[in-house]
Amino acid sequence: MIVPLGHIFLLAGIIFSMGLVCLVAHRNLIMTLIGVEVMMNAAAIAFIAAALRWKLMEGQAFVLFILAVSAAEISLGLALVVSVYRRTGSIDPDRYDILKW
Amino acid sequence: MTSWLNDPSLMAAILATWLPFISFLLIMVFTRNHRRLSGGIAVAAVTGSVAGAIFLLTRHGGHGFPIHYSARWLIAGDISIPFGFLLDPVSLLMLLLVAAISFLVQVYSLGYMAGDPGFSRYYAFQSLFAWAMMTLTVSSTLLQLYVFWELVGLSSYLLIGFWYERFSATQAGKKAFVMTRLGDVAFFIGLLLVLLHLGNLEILEINSSEAVARMPSGLLTLAALLIFSGIVGKSAQFPLMTWLPDAMEGPTPVSALLHSATMVAAGVYLFARLFPFLSHSADAMTVFLAIGTVSMLLASTMAMVSRDIKQVWAYSTISQLGFMIMGLAAGSLFAGSFHLATHAGFKALLFLCSGVWVHLYETNDVYEISRRGGRRLKTPMVCLVIAAAALSGLPPLSGFFSKEVILAALAGIRNPLWLAAGLLGVFLTAYYTFRLVFIILFPRGEVRQEPSPHGRGGMGALYWTMGCPLVILAGVTLMLGFLETPLREFLSGGTVAHQDGAHAWLPYISAGLAAFGVGMTWVEFGRRAALQVGFVDRIPPLRELFTQRWYLDYVYRAFVEVVIDRVLSRACAKNEDRVINDSIDGFCDFTLDTGHLFSFLQSGKLRYNLIVMFGALALVALYFLLA
Amino acid sequence: MTLYAATFYLLGIVILTATGLAVTRRQPIHAVLYLIVAFLGTAALFFLLGAPLLAAFTVIIYAGAIMIVVLFIIMLFQESPRKIGMRSEWGPGLLLGVVFLAVAVATIFKDPGSRIVLQGAVAQPRDFGRFLFDRYWLAVEIVSVLLLVALVAILHLGKRRDTEETEKGPSPHLSPPGGEGRDEEVGYHKEGH
Repeated sequence: MIVPLGHIFLLAGIIFSMGLVCLVAHRNLIMTLIGVEVMMNAAAIAFIAAALRWKLMEGQAFVLFILAVSAAEISLGLALVVSVYRRTGSIDPDRYDILKW
Repeated sequence: MTSWLNDPSLMAAILATWLPFISFLLIMVFTRNHRRLSGGIAVAAVTGSVAGAIFLLTRHGGHGFPIHYSARWLIAGDISIPFGFLLDPVSLLMLLLVAAISFLVQVYSLGYMAGDPGFSRYYAFQSLFAWAMMTLTVSSTLLQLYVFWELVGLSSYLLIGFWYERFSATQAGKKAFVMTRLGDVAFFIGLLLVLLHLGNLEILEINSSEAVARMPSGLLTLAALLIFSGIVGKSAQFPLMTWLPDAMEGPTPVSALLHSATMVAAGVYLFARLFPFLSHSADAMTVFLAIGTVSMLLASTMAMVSRDIKQVWAYSTISQLGFMIMGLAAGSLFAGSFHLATHAGFKALLFLCSGVWVHLYETNDVYEISRRGGRRLKTPMVCLVIAAAALSGLPPLSGFFSKEVILAALAGIRNPLWLAAGLLGVFLTAYYTFRLVFIILFPRGEVRQEPSPHGRGGMGALYWTMGCPLVILAGVTLMLGFLETPLREFLSGGTVAHQDGAHAWLPYISAGLAAFGVGMTWVEFGRRAALQVGFVDRIPPLRELFTQRWYLDYVYRAFVEVVIDRVLSRACAKNEDRVINDSIDGFCDFTLDTGHLFSFLQSGKLRYNLIVMFGALALVALYFLLA
Repeated sequence: MTLYAATFYLLGIVILTATGLAVTRRQPIHAVLYLIVAFLGTAALFFLLGAPLLAAFTVIIYAGAIMIVVLFIIMLFQESPRKIGMRSEWGPGLLLGVVFLAVAVATIFKDPGSRIVLQGAVAQPRDFGRFLFDRYWLAVEIVSVLLLVALVAILHLGKRRDTEETEKGPSPHLSPPGGEGRDEEVGYHKEGH
């Protein structure tokens, strides 16, 4: 007897929202990537909860994949941020608005 | 349709009306640069028309009417308006009249217009007019008649403004077209009223008695008045009459053909055509009578003071048309038709005679013509006197007989006012006609002894082309009066009851009045000691009134300026600016502003794009939540 | 309330607090450090929910490797860490977060399946590993290829092409500082007609 499933999903949802806010509110590319990480974390929690509810291990396998993909993605993202910084000298995404109307 | 080759009458009708059209096309497309060829084609075409008309008349002389041919033309649901020919006494008579006078005028023009750079164009337009007028004459439905009515107006415009390098000519053409158009709009509305109530526009049906039973009398009167407005415009009656004097800017043969004998007579012809229909409404007939009388008297007064020879005949045409309308409105179809026929003859003759002098001396002024020795040209002078006598109604010329019939019809009305007006008109006609004749005949001042500029012998063949039509028309004028009874029988399609002799004193009164008019002009203009100043000229306000055409033109100009320019045009311009332009511009501005408003979405900032993306995701989730 | 439930709620509070602090920091380094705490809490949560292997993986990979990489990259920027933190705009983000949260909460509590109480269970690492390589061996191989590809890409991206590029300073690709005023710039002109 642990907790109702809804509570875990609620927890995951709140964490996801916080990650979303971090993603869009900071004018710093690093914080953007951190927001993405937080969101992935929330997704992982949700998957584990689902795996426990159905007693299937697929959910946990998927969390493993989330982990791996997140690792690849954040390292690539950071490499891109470094490259962009080298090119333009700033990591403020609001300054890259050449495509602005 | 297949039988048209087999039926000689139909063949003759088609050829008579469409040969001039073919001539028009040929001249305009191919022979613009070959004068003789153009003239030849046109005259040949109209000769064919004359032949066709004579053939039809002799073939159907007096029996078997009406003959009706029709082909499918416009069909919409229940309404069917065919294209066809309606041959009955009135139309055949008019057809022959139009064809014959067109022929004579075109022959005359070979001499008159010789040397003019627009010779071919002139003959093309003459052919166009002939085609339109002849098809108008034999039209079987009102809509077809209306189409050719407009075509006749178009050719009139083209011919009035023929010498388009002259500004006054183009102005005159425009004025003629616009004024007649005004009448034509009312005509069209009347036509639509008839169509709405009767379901079709066949002239035979309109004239039949069951048609009248189907229309309520108020609407019948309204339709009659509206159709008559078209007649007012085309035949230059009051109040749309001032275009005709200005139309004298065109070449004299054009004035002879269009603006005396045929085109302006189309209005009277329409009246005769729809006579059974229009005569059902007594109120409308009274209005017609009044308008005819007013036009007749007004125009006669204007003719009394004019110095321009062609304008005098123009006013005279208006006056005589008014006279014809009086006769028709008094209830006698024969009166108007007969006077139409005789008037065509002598009025064309008057114009053609004047044309000889205008062509020779290049001036329209009567005093100038007389001073330069106009009377020494014998053929025009003699023909002028004959025609003038016919116009005044002196026996035994044709004009006398036809005026008699009209006066007899007017005497049949209970109110003696109309007869008195008719008699006054007779006097005035005689006065202004012979004023002109005596001015030319007895010149005052120095008569220049110049030889004719072109020399009689030098003109040669051209002289005969101008002279022969004059002689032919003079002969017709002399003869036509005696054909009254056969014509009456012909038009009524049978024997006619003998006229009662209650008005036996009428011919003497009218002849007497005419003679009185001639005598008065002799006293004022013709005697050796006369000053050649009319009694009207001695009263300056009266003379001013008549010369300014009773200030009708001023009224029109004021109307155009105040109502149309200041009110209507300004309102329309403002509407176009504020309502149409600005609303479209406002719409465009609104679109642009909305776009500008939403352009913040294109901020180019990564964060906002992400916000929009996740916002959309939230909305999708919302959808699944609610669904 | 059982012990498990109490532990869950406690862990939940820890994770939420840590994440909340992480997202609101100005300095990325602070954020990363708080985030490590959050991940450690997450790992404990995984343990509670019956995934011990994954808990270990979270600690090792997530908190232990990824966050360190982020720290390294933050350190890589030649300016002082203090300058890197910039002013943030909270308005639109908060709105979005609230909206999203509202939709999520509504979704969760509308579904009757969310009232089911979870029973405790544990997936032993041995069983999990066997399961993984029995059934999802292809996915594992693909993930490893993915990591290889990422490695290659990072090596390529990280290469310095021109040594002068970094000494030039801000390049013309960038719009000049003070770009806030650009929204007022009119892209078209309203002309009179």
